[in-house]
Amino acid sequence: MKPPPAHAFVNRLIGLTLLLLVFSGSLGLGAVWMRQEISQAANRGRLLEGKMADVERRLDEVNAEVAAAVNPDVLLQQNQAMRLGLMSPREVQVVRVGESPELRLATKRNREVFSLASASLSDQAGEPAFRVVTALR
Amino acid sequence: MSKGFASNRLSLLAVGVLICFMSVGVRLVFLQVVDRDELLRFVDKARRQIVVEHARRGAILDARGNLLATSRSEITVAVDPWALTEYLDIDKNPAHRAKRVAEEQAKHAQLADLLGMSFADVEKAYIPGMRSIKPENDKRDGAVDGQTKDRWVKLREEVDEPTFDKITALNIRGVTHERVYRRVYPGDGLAAHLIGYLNREGTAVTGAEHNFDLYLKGQDGWIESEKDGARREMAQFRTREVPAQDGDDVVLTIDSVVQHIIEDELKTVAAKFQPHFATIIASDPMTGAILGMANYPSFDLNNYNKAPLEAQRNYAITDRIEPGSTFKIVAAGAALNEGLVTPYSTFDCGIQTIDYEGRTIKLPKEDEPFGVLSVADIVAHSSNRGAAQLAMRLGDERFYEYARRYGFGQTTAFELGGEVRGTLASPDKWDGLTISRMPMGHSVDATPLQIHMAMSAVANGGALLRPQIIKEIRDNEGNVIRRFGPEKRTQVLRPAIAAQLAQLLTGVVREGTAKGFDIPGFEVAGKTGTTQKLIDGKYSTTHHVASFVGFFPASRPEVVLSVIVDDAHVTGGTAYGRVVAAPAFKHIAEQLIQYLDIQPVTVPTRNFLAMQGGAR
Repeated sequence: MKPPPAHAFVNRLIGLTLLLLVFSGSLGLGAVWMRQEISQAANRGRLLEGKMADVERRLDEVNAEVAAAVNPDVLLQQNQAMRLGLMSPREVQVVRVGESPELRLATKRNREVFSLASASLSDQAGEPAFRVVTALR
Repeated sequence: MSKGFASNRLSLLAVGVLICFMSVGVRLVFLQVVDRDELLRFVDKARRQIVVEHARRGAILDARGNLLATSRSEITVAVDPWALTEYLDIDKNPAHRAKRVAEEQAKHAQLADLLGMSFADVEKAYIPGMRSIKPENDKRDGAVDGQTKDRWVKLREEVDEPTFDKITALNIRGVTHERVYRRVYPGDGLAAHLIGYLNREGTAVTGAEHNFDLYLKGQDGWIESEKDGARREMAQFRTREVPAQDGDDVVLTIDSVVQHIIEDELKTVAAKFQPHFATIIASDPMTGAILGMANYPSFDLNNYNKAPLEAQRNYAITDRIEPGSTFKIVAAGAALNEGLVTPYSTFDCGIQTIDYEGRTIKLPKEDEPFGVLSVADIVAHSSNRGAAQLAMRLGDERFYEYARRYGFGQTTAFELGGEVRGTLASPDKWDGLTISRMPMGHSVDATPLQIHMAMSAVANGGALLRPQIIKEIRDNEGNVIRRFGPEKRTQVLRPAIAAQLAQLLTGVVREGTAKGFDIPGFEVAGKTGTTQKLIDGKYSTTHHVASFVGFFPASRPEVVLSVIVDDAHVTGGTAYGRVVAAPAFKHIAEQLIQYLDIQPVTVPTRNFLAMQGGAR
């Protein structure tokens, strides 16, 4: 077999070199693109961190302002400035209810709703047509 | 074109490409190998940075979650005059430049308004200047002359966030800033002695800030990365990152409203009697949790630097007083507990001397003449001679042992520190009169908190508890990471005896030394105290410590309250406990009953009638 001529070898070498250049170039571009993406993602993360810190800072600020606004001294001053006349109750003004107020009010309401008079509305003779018994605790 | 020429041209190109590669390779060798160390040093210096991330200090809250101390960001606003000069120098057109100058000056006027400064002062800050630096560090502007551009001229400290937002919106050239965290106390002076404060250097000085600093301070983090030419961090080059660990929140046992009630009363007492100092303590007898502790004089935590050191003392734990008649609970409780007497046992309190261990001892004077009194009467009427005889029944050693059990002569182990121990001499150091004087609260001294905790032991069934100021620790997400419970130190009295003594103490307000200070339905139990102050080694007849220490309701105590007023000035009279301290006790108790919704032990008849209303 006849050996290939020298320029064919050179051509192939140049071709391969160019291919290598294209390959390495695209690798390089890929790497640059990737680094750019990493950089952008990192900076976005940094900005978000900054925003979160800013929100937390503002939250602390608001919390401090709320705490200062509900300080008993400030509330008393507001009470005076707005002439609300609010004051803590005295024992003499307090009526203590021993039983459950919900049950007592429910019983009272049930008596009104299911009273004998109202139950007898449909009865001509004035006698109740039915009798309602409510469970009391 | 001949084939040979084409071939030569391609060879030439190939050689050219190879040479390029070789040049790049050689340069790389120089960069990466030969000059590597020097270049690395330069890059490190120019680009690498370590940014410390400061941890946010935890908050201090009261038992109901109200903020007592928190951190707030504040901004120090400064200008970089050179930044403005450089910005103006970019434009060479005089007309454009003049327009820019006018625009910036208009903004400077707004900046001056926002910062509360004069326009002239802001303009002065914008005059470019140089500052001296060490020659070895002078490499920033090219010339090594020990001078560098001054790029930080401070305008104003402690600028709040909303104001800074407005400044930022103006987009002023050369305005720069530094953000710092400052501790703020929303309640101003509320619970000042308990909370304590951080000084300007950020060092926790007193109170909870100091004693719970380990929980509060957190741990700073740091980021190792690189910066660009504008000194902005390039986050993609972060090599190490240690996140900051924010401090934990500390929840105290105090209740802001209870604290406010007692501080308000303290102000009234101070205005009326101009005392040397006064202390009021409120606590839960069953847990030892301090609900409020206030002192006069006090100070504003946000302006601590203007407060004298005297006002910063927590007198409740740092100062000792003779407990006076409040100490009689020791002799009475001990004698009952040992079964030596019953509430009905009687003593002749009219005698002036008594034989004790082979000696005749002169008994102390009484405020009013008494005859034969029962133990119940001795407690109610605060008989000095009766208390002395009760102690003599016990003997030196047993009486001393009970005084120790009540917590006298030793610290209460209060968590805020700075507490003094008080003095309780052992019997081998007593003189012949001590057994007759100590039962009435002389020859012994204690802090107001010790006296308070001794009474608390009577209220809670005879157990001496550690006063508790810290309730729990929460992490920065609000999860409880540590809870603090009651700590029992010792059992002073049997529960039945403590209950019996509590009932005897109700006699004090019903018919005894504080008659008239009862609250109907709430069984106030307490003990007045009026102690002559020791001045120059002698008991003064004009300077007294007035106190009222008690609890309510006696049969199921919910609050222990102590009012101690040192050296009150009472026009034309003596500063007795019933005159100075008992009214304050009653006024506070009435408010606490409503606020804490304490139910009466006995319901007055009027309420029974009222309860029937609306039932039909």
